[in-house]
Amino acid sequence: MTEMLLIPAIPLVAALLCLAVKNSRVREYVTLVGAAMLLSATLNAAAGALDGMTLTAFGGLLYMDALSAYMLSVIAALTLVTVIYSIEYMRHELDTSVINDGAHRHYYVLFNVFVFTMTIVPLSNNLAMMWISIEATTLVSALLVGFYRKKESIEAAWKYIMLCTVGITFALLGTFIMYYASATLSGEGAGVLEWTSLKAAAHGLNPATVRLSFILIMVGYGTKAGLAPVHNWLPDAHSEAPTPISALLSGILLNCAFYGIMRFAVITDIACGHAFVQDIMTVFGLGSVVIASVFILMQTNSKRLLAYSSIEHMGIISLSFGVGGPFGIYASLLHILNHAMGKPLMFFVTGRIRALHGTVETTEVRGLLKSAPLVGALGFVGLMALTGMPPFGMFISEFLMFRGLADAGRWGVIAVFLAASVLVFYGFIRRFGGMFLGAPPKGSGHGHGTYWPASAVLVALGGGLLLLGLYIPGTLDRLITMSVAVTGGGQ
Amino acid sequence: MIRQWIEIFSVIDAISIGMLLTTLAMNSVRRIETCLKAYTMNSLLLALLMGVCAIYMGIAHLYIAAAVTLISKGIVIPYLLRRVVRSLRLTRDAEPYIGTTMSLVISAVLVVIVYSSLSKGIVVEGVIENTLKISISIILIGLFIMITRKKAVTQVIGLLFMENGLFLAGFSLTYGMPTLIELGVLFDLLMGVIILGVFLSQIKKAFVSVDLDRLTTLKG
Repeated sequence: MTEMLLIPAIPLVAALLCLAVKNSRVREYVTLVGAAMLLSATLNAAAGALDGMTLTAFGGLLYMDALSAYMLSVIAALTLVTVIYSIEYMRHELDTSVINDGAHRHYYVLFNVFVFTMTIVPLSNNLAMMWISIEATTLVSALLVGFYRKKESIEAAWKYIMLCTVGITFALLGTFIMYYASATLSGEGAGVLEWTSLKAAAHGLNPATVRLSFILIMVGYGTKAGLAPVHNWLPDAHSEAPTPISALLSGILLNCAFYGIMRFAVITDIACGHAFVQDIMTVFGLGSVVIASVFILMQTNSKRLLAYSSIEHMGIISLSFGVGGPFGIYASLLHILNHAMGKPLMFFVTGRIRALHGTVETTEVRGLLKSAPLVGALGFVGLMALTGMPPFGMFISEFLMFRGLADAGRWGVIAVFLAASVLVFYGFIRRFGGMFLGAPPKGSGHGHGTYWPASAVLVALGGGLLLLGLYIPGTLDRLITMSVAVTGGGQ
Repeated sequence: MIRQWIEIFSVIDAISIGMLLTTLAMNSVRRIETCLKAYTMNSLLLALLMGVCAIYMGIAHLYIAAAVTLISKGIVIPYLLRRVVRSLRLTRDAEPYIGTTMSLVISAVLVVIVYSSLSKGIVVEGVIENTLKISISIILIGLFIMITRKKAVTQVIGLLFMENGLFLAGFSLTYGMPTLIELGVLFDLLMGVIILGVFLSQIKKAFVSVDLDRLTTLKG
């Protein structure tokens, strides 16, 4: 139990320390040490989950199984990576007087609170508590999206908080209806909304009620997860937030919301049969892929381009989760990890491009492979990885998704998906290709202080993507397989 | 004795209808402080409904829920919003995208749709049979207000009406959530209002207005 409580406690303590500390360097190290401790605490708890243990605390309010452990590990690992990059990014902002010391403190406090709210999501067993924590992530991250207080960032933050709160209102209605469905079975009380007891009782739930609940959940959490057609806030929020926050939003926050959908999908699957869940998740997933592929063609701002790519990848995750079966859910979970590495890598690359050239417009930057070899090469790796090219990880997870779709006989979906993928690939190469290849214009680019651990992080993310494309480590494979078993897939 | 009175005079239905009427009133109100009064009234009715149900059903945690709703939605949130509205010197809402008559008609149509379609999957019987339908209507009308208004602050009020409808829905489905959960949701809501207030003043500062038609820098 204590190992589980440590996980949310660490970022919370780090936030309080950052609030108290006056020296900007100390704040950075507090956050860094906190993130490292968070990762080790999470891996420690995940090791327990690997042995088949499930942890509970507060009378079943908090709960951890293999799936929660997997999501938490992704969150913790990416937090550490992002903190290291944040140090470089925020130092640059301080040095160029874009922000003052107060804003610097503001950033690190909110960063830690944001991580705290995200760690609660996979730990909640009570579905209403999960809702509370997901809404809390919106509130905290909206402040981070509006961090620069420029017109564009305020507008993006406003749009973000309004659309996500409205969306998530429907998710709460869905949660209420799920509560109603189970309360009519077994009476009221806090235990009725616990995922574990809902799953056990799912066979007896009224299918019509559960269906209504799942549709509301899909629309509600789908808004937050960036699934089309309720994704409109996402490109603005991702492009206006400070780059490390864009990486967190895209790499893990979207997955936190999707995690909510997953837990409900498991119950709906048992109560209403698989076909219903499969149809809804396929519609949302494929719709997101198609819409994103069209919008990717029109973007010239590289951060907006990456934001639309997030919509595409959330679509892939939803699509493969919906297919289910032994391949689908495995592919979905593996894709979450791949995306959580690939997208931050690309955001960090654009952050460095911004520091070098003062712009993230794809039309104004040329020849990065020559002028900044490390950034150029890793950007190229990220580009190939995000478009699903071998030998990178996303090729494997998308291939597994095809296996699942083919087993389910959904050839039409495969055809549409492939067509959309071609568009995405074309859009990416057309916009990003020019940034990396070609000759750099003379006299462009002013040097900026790079922080070597941040460079190491970039290399590690690129290396991780390559590794997952070549082979999946045994421990990871076991954790994902056990998570698949938690969702009831794979039989 | 009191239980019979509640049944004879359909007190619960009457209060729910009062909530629906205060929501409908939003369609024709232009002065922002009057909008806030409509919202306060709506919240007070919600708290009253919970209190009446607590007496009627004799459920202890409903008393707590009613008290917490009264304090947070009936007093604190309206107070915070009024402060923001006064400090930003907001008086009247801009003309909405859809005129008063038309928006009243649309709201009425929404209510009819809810009443005619909400029969599958969910069967709520007894004294709160109408409440669920009214609550869903309030959620939809709140959403409609959010979409058609131009001022940021009226959007926030629309959102708050949605939340009231949502609480009413949760209440009519299962007589409210467990107290701990209810407190958590209200805490989120309160934080949300405070953060939205912060953004309102930032919008005013950056755009010199809180008209949302000016928030159009980001497209595509």
